[in-house]
Amino acid sequence: MNTKAIDIKNIYYPPGGILMWIIIFLELFTFGMALIAMVYYGKQEASVFHDSRMLLNSTYGTINTILLLTSGFFMVVSVQELKTNNKKKSQNYLLLTMLFGFLFLILKTIEYNAKLTIGIGIGFNTFFTFYWMLTLFHVIHVIVGLIILGSIYLGLKKEKSNTTIEDVEASAAFWHMCDLIWLLLFPIIYLLF
Amino acid sequence: MVAVVSNNLFTFLIMNKANSFTLIILLVLTITASVISNSSSSSVKMAILGVASLKFIGVAFQFMELKKAHIFWKSSLLFFLTLFSILIWAII
Repeated sequence: MNTKAIDIKNIYYPPGGILMWIIIFLELFTFGMALIAMVYYGKQEASVFHDSRMLLNSTYGTINTILLLTSGFFMVVSVQELKTNNKKKSQNYLLLTMLFGFLFLILKTIEYNAKLTIGIGIGFNTFFTFYWMLTLFHVIHVIVGLIILGSIYLGLKKEKSNTTIEDVEASAAFWHMCDLIWLLLFPIIYLLF
Repeated sequence: MVAVVSNNLFTFLIMNKANSFTLIILLVLTITASVISNSSSSSVKMAILGVASLKFIGVAFQFMELKKAHIFWKSSLLFFLTLFSILIWAII
């Protein structure tokens, strides 16, 4: 395991790597613009957006936020353990990170199923078009994040691992990006209207 | 059994003090936002946006270690957050 220290104070080496941070900003701007558009349409169709928001279960949204934040916390601990060469502990915390990610997906599936059962699909109204587009796009990011974390876990598990600390930090940055995006989606979709 | 688990949990939280504290704050803010959203007060929307911004900063600066990064990355993220919050606030 290569644990060579990188000076993250350097402008070219933010934690997780410069390429990952370019992706993070692009993602934040993409979701940000979509949310601004959603709030704009919410102003035009205030009663539709309010009634539609009341059809959402904000408890699901709150629990999902708690699951993602807890998952992010375990990711931080996993990276810290790896930096102190506790590979086994790092792997265990990585498993916990993924477990909470899976729980997020399970709860999201339950929520989607409840909506589809009562006929609330993507074309139901403007609010739910935004709801489905934004949350599904986010779910895709969570799935990609879990695949990345899974491959990192398998890489760390190997006896002669060629997984570097930079790989783990970049994966962690991607996983935290899922948190950041959700922290913008949750209040606007579930609480604001 | 319960004593062993609680003892281990306590040790774990102490060892990861800063991150554990951040997590607890983030969870409290999440629950607070959820509870106040049921209120009919006119300032609720502003409070929800404010709480969301605090949580965003907590994850970015503590969990993503942005607090240790170059000022360019810190200011870029804060610029994004400020711009986003102002635009949302201007529309609602």
